[in-house]
Amino acid sequence: MIISKKVEFSASHICRAPGLSDAENERVYGAAANPLSHGHNYIVEVAIEGEPDPVTGMILDLKRLKDVLEERVLSVYDHRLLNREVASFENLVPTVENIAIDIWKRIERHIDASGRAWLYSVRVHETNELFVEYRGGT
Amino acid sequence: MVYVSRRYAFSATHRLHAAGLSDAENQAIYGKCNNPHGHGHNYEVEITVAGPVDAVTGRAVDLAALDALAGREVIGPLRYRNLNEEVEAFRTAVPTTENLTFEVDRRLRAVWAGTFPGGVPRLEKIRIWETERNICEVRGI
Repeated sequence: MIISKKVEFSASHICRAPGLSDAENERVYGAAANPLSHGHNYIVEVAIEGEPDPVTGMILDLKRLKDVLEERVLSVYDHRLLNREVASFENLVPTVENIAIDIWKRIERHIDASGRAWLYSVRVHETNELFVEYRGGT
Repeated sequence: MVYVSRRYAFSATHRLHAAGLSDAENQAIYGKCNNPHGHGHNYEVEITVAGPVDAVTGRAVDLAALDALAGREVIGPLRYRNLNEEVEAFRTAVPTTENLTFEVDRRLRAVWAGTFPGGVPRLEKIRIWETERNICEVRGI
């Protein structure tokens, strides 16, 4: 069984790869390559897989999950310029793909200590027209 | 592997009427969608691709290329059209959301490798919203 929790953060980013020329960056990222940055209201959906505990009827403590997301993701990302203020993106372009992978890495080991529930996927919506899903692995 | 989904919209007219059925049967099956004058929807098309994230760009898909492909093969040819009258596939097939989703899948698959060499990223699935409440999904084989 899979249960999902949705949270939001707002942040700015610059999509420019240092190894590419200005023209290549414009071609790859379009308007998102603006060196002065731009921002989004991101929506993050975290899906947890597991079986409900026979006593509580819950896959995991959702309040605890909320706290993990708050502490490990939202407090780091929210109202920040991701390129400059989040260490993960010092040498990594903060595309929505890399944001989803970074969120996975930040929370994967903190989902549930009992081993009964584990992270299934991280979905990040950058706009209404674009979202990505990461399920771990390469 | 990351799954990237991109949404597009178009508006079009259709009429649901199966040539092999009687007028009474068509009316019974399709209800008001059988109106001989047709009717329209604001369709939303979601294309999901799956691929590795490029180490340099941080992207799993060239969005400009995907947008151009979707515009050329799907949105451009379908927007503001009467699907029954103006889209070849629906001269014979009933333009239900099911058949429309198959048609969009076929159109993209036919030229996919031309835009994405080696089929990377791969076309994972198509979802089409006919209305907020009617959604159809086709997954790649």
